[in-house]
Amino acid sequence: MAATVHRRRRKHPVPVARILVLGFFLILMFGPLYWVAITSIKPSDDFLAVPPVWFPAHPTLMHYTAAMFSYRGLQALTNSLIISTAATILSALLGTPMAYSLARFNTGGQHLAFWVLSQRFLPPIAVVLPIFLIYRRIGLNDTHIGLIVAYTVFTLPVTVWMMFAYFRQMPKSLEEAALVDGCSRWGALWKVAVPLAAPGIVAAAVFAFIACWTEFFFALILTSRNAFTLPTVFRSFLGFQGAQFGESAALSIVSLLPSIALGVLAQRHLVRGLTLGAVRG
Amino acid sequence: MADVKIRRLHKRFGTVSAVRGIDLEIKDGEFAVLVGPSGCGKSTLLRTIAGLEDVSNGEIEIGGEVVNDIRPCDRDVAMVFQDYALYPHMTAGANIAFGLKARKMPKAEIEARVKRAAMMLSITQLLDRYPRQLSGGQRQRVAIGRAIVRNPQLFLFDEPLSNLDAQLRDGMRGEIKRLHQEISTTMIYVTHDQIEAMTLADRIVLMRDGAIEQQGAPLDLFERPATRFVAGFLGSPQMSFLRGKLVRDGAGDRIRLDGDGSALPLPRERKLDGTSDGMAVLLGLRPEHVTRAQGSPREGFVRTEAMIELIQPTGSRSYATFRLGGEPVVAELQAHDVSRPGEKIAIDINLRRASLFDARSERAI
Amino acid sequence: MAEELWTSEMAESISAGVITARVPRRRTFSEWSDRHFKWLLVAPASLLILALSVYPLLFSIWVSFVNYDFTVPGHAFIGLKNFSQVVFDGNARWSLIVTAILSFSDVTIEFFLGLALALVMARSFKGRGLIMSILIIPLFISPVIVGQTWTLLLQRPWGPTDFLLGRLLGHEVTVSWLTSTPWNFFAIIIADVWQWTPFMFVILLAGLTAIPPHIYEAAELDGVGAWRTFWFITVPHLAPMMLLAITFRLLDAIKLFDTIFIMTGGGPGTSTYSASYYLYTIGFAQFHLSQATAGSWIFLILTAGVIALLVRRLLRAEPS
Repeated sequence: MAATVHRRRRKHPVPVARILVLGFFLILMFGPLYWVAITSIKPSDDFLAVPPVWFPAHPTLMHYTAAMFSYRGLQALTNSLIISTAATILSALLGTPMAYSLARFNTGGQHLAFWVLSQRFLPPIAVVLPIFLIYRRIGLNDTHIGLIVAYTVFTLPVTVWMMFAYFRQMPKSLEEAALVDGCSRWGALWKVAVPLAAPGIVAAAVFAFIACWTEFFFALILTSRNAFTLPTVFRSFLGFQGAQFGESAALSIVSLLPSIALGVLAQRHLVRGLTLGAVRG
Repeated sequence: MADVKIRRLHKRFGTVSAVRGIDLEIKDGEFAVLVGPSGCGKSTLLRTIAGLEDVSNGEIEIGGEVVNDIRPCDRDVAMVFQDYALYPHMTAGANIAFGLKARKMPKAEIEARVKRAAMMLSITQLLDRYPRQLSGGQRQRVAIGRAIVRNPQLFLFDEPLSNLDAQLRDGMRGEIKRLHQEISTTMIYVTHDQIEAMTLADRIVLMRDGAIEQQGAPLDLFERPATRFVAGFLGSPQMSFLRGKLVRDGAGDRIRLDGDGSALPLPRERKLDGTSDGMAVLLGLRPEHVTRAQGSPREGFVRTEAMIELIQPTGSRSYATFRLGGEPVVAELQAHDVSRPGEKIAIDINLRRASLFDARSERAI
Repeated sequence: MAEELWTSEMAESISAGVITARVPRRRTFSEWSDRHFKWLLVAPASLLILALSVYPLLFSIWVSFVNYDFTVPGHAFIGLKNFSQVVFDGNARWSLIVTAILSFSDVTIEFFLGLALALVMARSFKGRGLIMSILIIPLFISPVIVGQTWTLLLQRPWGPTDFLLGRLLGHEVTVSWLTSTPWNFFAIIIADVWQWTPFMFVILLAGLTAIPPHIYEAAELDGVGAWRTFWFITVPHLAPMMLLAITFRLLDAIKLFDTIFIMTGGGPGTSTYSASYYLYTIGFAQFHLSQATAGSWIFLILTAGVIALLVRRLLRAEPS
């Protein structure tokens, strides 16, 4: 009798702990997001209400229009889209061949690999200051191209390392068959290796895109009226006047939806992306 | 169609020598099999011929042309890989046509060749399928089709049957042999399986530790092995080896077994050049030369009584293990022989066909 | 396998093919590029990194030794003056302390929370995939938005935080989360922890799931209790992953800028200046660019050791 009671008790506590912990985290996570979401549709009067309004009686979309137009959110959105997409494409175009070379030929040994990988950890302030000065001299400040190029370099380490890990676990024999069949090394790369690595390339591209989409510091320094990206628009909301809550919330929602959607879609490759391929998810 | 000449070939990976000083000549149209235990360098040698590995020293000549600096795609060789290496994102037909497309052959010609190769290998109905939809045997045929369709001057096979199960392997082996009979292109085939080597080869090249141990026609290596290694590698079940000393006093040449001192008289015909009295030797006995005693003792045979320790029936015959001079020997018995372990039977040992090796150098006497 | 018809045709095409199948050896661009293939592949990316990372860093060395200041004309060589200005600036030293406090607090809290989450999510259960997708959401949000969101929540008097806390604790709560020390530190930490705990969680979970289950089964059969199992089996197996996660996260945390920029603006005064924020104000608010550059080099050198260690550890993890 005592034995069965004991055994039954052993099995119970685990799910309870799980439910409690997960519940706690989920509330903690959703809470802020929920608040932002409803703030974005609250009529302005509700902002100043005490106690706070948990769900607006008369939701409105006017903050979205204000954010997009008065605060030039739409222009920022377009810029972000252009710049992030271009940088992502460039990053994939340059990073994939490099990753292939490192994976198949161990090019440059430890040194090249070390150098590329360490780029990921450089403090942005150390890099962006001189780039700012250089751009000033050659007129690339506040241009799309300027930021695109900077973002390409900024995302290269992660792209290279994700693809490196991916190529490593692809068997060589397919490329060798292509070589014997009649392809030059380039042919083997583009006709066989790259098509097979497509899922990895897409995943790396997704993370590169998210990195560019959410990046603030470089954009802050290297852009102003012309090429400004979504994160930089939040500068205008500094020094809260209360009246801007709705717009800032609306802009937040507009900005975070795409990156969250992409991130969740690519989550299978998340661990590899976060740890630069050091860990297989 | 071309001959292959390899001169003083060395291949090193860092400090490790995978291939040491190989000299090999394969005639036009020959089916050469590179065989040996894992790590002997046979695959490495094949890959240097294909151009997938660079050469550290030496020369490779295909069809009269030194190809050391020529890229794989320009060497006009075709290769069949162990894991088939079919492009998974292309159909079987596209796989086969791949090499031809890479060489910019006209579309009509490509289609014609693919169709012919598919007919030859009975895979016409599979051309539209993807590799993942094919069985192992079918994939291997597609891989072979990809090689055939290019009409290369040289075919290379890297353990193509290792990934197939035993029954499929037997069938494919026959088909590869037939393929060679029909298109008589020079073929170099790598395997670790000595049965494949024996059945397929015009010439066997037995390798060990990066060097060639012996090469020649299969039956040559089987019946006249140059070293103990070759003798032990070919033939299944393996040759039994007994240690002993050669006795060459006036009273007839014989071997005194180390195990129990018993002596086995050697037939007069056996040439014993370069041997001396008291020399340590190895006596090699193949199961087919150790059989159930029948009739009266024959010239050159030794009759002895054997206590069976183990019986291994294979269906067509049975193999009995007993001790001679204290060491195990395998005898071949008829399938219907109902001897059991623990029984004593009379055994005839054919010392005419037995192999003799210098125990120190392991070379044949 | 063969058909008579095929054999003769095949033989014909063989003899024809001997002439055409052999590709003549060409000293072409294709051969040249194949020979230098591996270098050609890394060239474009390397050039870009050289141009936009190495060159700027070298350039900045020069900048840090001259006078490069939008408020003062000329680029005269001034030796170590920039460096000493930074080193003797109280704000600089304070910003290092702030950086240390914030990053260590961040990483510690994130680690324990992430570990708790990972332990709870380690075993498969219904709906785990969905919950997983939800839990990782903060990773894909821009840090400024995260900062903005928590500003919305924490600011007085219209944010719901004080109200909720008041209800929870029974008496009125009037904490100025963003404008008074030490609450502003908490605010920044909360925002960061909210965003980056999933990072720890994901990595630690990957480490947990990599532990072979039969080790736990053996322990269970041996009658080892839950706490001992955790301490003597889970932790040792997880240790390398823990170290990786912590180092990674720490290196990112010390660059803290976005949340500070948007939540406190470094204030009140200079109380929440992180190292990056401090250098930013020197360079882009005061335009003492060479001083900021000198400062960022000091910062870089301070972190270089840890960076090198982490990178080497990551490289070793690759089977070469």
